[in-house]
Amino acid sequence: MLDLHRLTKSFGKGDSAVTALHEVSFSIAEGEFFTLLGPSGCGKTTLLRLIAGFEPPSGGALVLDGRDIAHVPPNQRPVNTVFQNYALFPHMTVAENVGFALGAQGRPRAEIAATVERMLALVKLSHLAGRKSAALSGGQQQRVALARALAARPRILLLDEPLSALDMKLRKEMQVELKRLQQETGLTFIFVTHDQEEALTMSDRIAVMAGGRIQQIASPRDLYDQPANRFVAGFIGETNFLPAHCTAGRLTLPQAAAPLPVPHADGPVTVMIRPEHVALGQARPDALVLTAQVDRLVYFGTDTHVHLHLSDGSPLVARVQNALRGGQPCAAGQTIPVSLPGEALRLLPCDEAA
Amino acid sequence: MADRAFDTRRLPGATVLALACFVILYIPMVILVANSFNTGKVIGQWEGVSLHWYARALQNDAFLAAARTSLILASLAALIATITATMAALATTRSRGFRGEGTIHIVLNQPIMVPEIVLAIALLIIIAQIKQATGYTGLGYLVIAHSAFCIPFAYMPIRARLEGMDLTLETAAADLYAGRLYTFRKVTLPLLAPGILAGFMLAFVISLDDVVISDFLKSPGQDTLPTYLLGELRRNLTSEIYAISSLLLLISVLIVAGSWLLTRKKT
Ligand SMILES: Nc1ncnc2c1ncn2[C@@H]1O[C@H](COP(=O)(O)OP(=O)(O)OP(=O)(O)O)[C@@H](O)[C@H]1O
Ligand SMILES: [Mg+2]
Repeated sequence: MLDLHRLTKSFGKGDSAVTALHEVSFSIAEGEFFTLLGPSGCGKTTLLRLIAGFEPPSGGALVLDGRDIAHVPPNQRPVNTVFQNYALFPHMTVAENVGFALGAQGRPRAEIAATVERMLALVKLSHLAGRKSAALSGGQQQRVALARALAARPRILLLDEPLSALDMKLRKEMQVELKRLQQETGLTFIFVTHDQEEALTMSDRIAVMAGGRIQQIASPRDLYDQPANRFVAGFIGETNFLPAHCTAGRLTLPQAAAPLPVPHADGPVTVMIRPEHVALGQARPDALVLTAQVDRLVYFGTDTHVHLHLSDGSPLVARVQNALRGGQPCAAGQTIPVSLPGEALRLLPCDEAA
Repeated sequence: MADRAFDTRRLPGATVLALACFVILYIPMVILVANSFNTGKVIGQWEGVSLHWYARALQNDAFLAAARTSLILASLAALIATITATMAALATTRSRGFRGEGTIHIVLNQPIMVPEIVLAIALLIIIAQIKQATGYTGLGYLVIAHSAFCIPFAYMPIRARLEGMDLTLETAAADLYAGRLYTFRKVTLPLLAPGILAGFMLAFVISLDDVVISDFLKSPGQDTLPTYLLGELRRNLTSEIYAISSLLLLISVLIVAGSWLLTRKKT
């Protein structure tokens, strides 16, 4: 329903120009929970502002339901925003805030009142309808902002880090709440966050951005299991990188006992493996087997992180699930065999700048 | 508390100096107000408390006419100045910087800087000619002149309010299908209202208290409260003047206090 085609945005002119978005292209389907994830300054807000219409693109097309809306003013786009600071109108009551969009559209009073009531019930704030919006807690303001943006039933709801101002507990609650709202209303959400856990737990698909470019768009599982490049692999979850080489369909690591057959073109590669896939102790046949020395163990409750280093000094982290009566998987200072199972290895081009 | 910010209260003699300033500023006014309640005619000869002089003033047609002129003049001038100042403040904060914006600032605030007597003489030269050419001798000249020098006073609180306003509120309104006019009416104006009211009140008081320009530009027989008082002072010093001055003082203090309360709220 929403297609971005080589959307570009530059600020300023001449030498001082900053390109915040480089030819961003993707499509979002009806009813999707789509997340933009990336480090600070990667252009997430800029992209959202282009979709909302607060900023014209410098190039490219923005097509909603078959119509190019790149230069349609924001008040004529069926797209609403939940702002990071909520931007509630302080001089209005909660109900007036929620009814604002319908009032601006000139809908009849009775319809506005009915919709406001329905929206407040949806976000469980009916009891605060008459309260001035300045006299609300952070979580309540958040809900009002949501209800206000949903009231006119936009085609797409844009949310710019809506949970970042909330404390941990409230944040978890609102994550569940948001997901429930999205499923109940069947609306399309574009959600911005720089919290990877939030992105993984809530999204149907995630677009990872860096430096104004899309790095990868995939489902949370695919993003974690099959990162497209070193940036994505390092940004989502914890991971190990080891330099390696492919020769004649076999992967060789300088420290490995024997090479492993892999379907990959010859040349230098970066091997990526998640800490939970690194197996300690036993030597397995379908794996690269290395010898490593244990530096220290860090206890995390559900699991223990084992920090190791290989003979050339490169670090490796293994995550071992804690058994009920297991004791420590190994001891600091020990030298042990470590297996990297073939199916858990991802080979990434090694010239990639991290 | 060694790293506390610089505190003037701890300077030697600061308290004494401050007290002295207050005494010098306010004792004469207190004496004036006190004397307005003196039944007797001569300052210093206390003959009992009464509202005698206030009653006299309220039966004085010349005073009443001057008071009426002053109130009409101040209302009109404050209204025009406030509307102009609101538009100027919106233009200088809401638009992306435009050429000549700095100049506009200087031009807007010039009446505060230029000596009032110079402004008065300059206006007198032009207006005398217009008077001669048109024959019109009404309040219009004073309204225009007062509006002009009241603009910067109305502009300051309005601009301060605008600068403190969250711009995303207007963006949010646009996002929620509001056009420019609807946004201005429902969001910008209500949020700006305390600043506008404060600006209006300040402009009103400034106009009400003006002597120099009014005295230069008024047509014969025309009087505002201050020029009337000035004229009376020159002729005969009666306690009625104290009563009238006290009334003027009361109005000014009330309005300034009101404007202060409005701008202070919500900061
Ligand atoms: N109005 C502007 N003028 C100039 N440069 C801008 C403007 N807005 C954004 N930028 C630049 O564009 C880049 C992307 O900014 P953007 O706000 O989109 O980042 P973001 O991903 O939302 O970051 P954050 O997570 O910190 O909110 C930044 O380098 C920023 O400095
Ligand atoms: Mg941002």
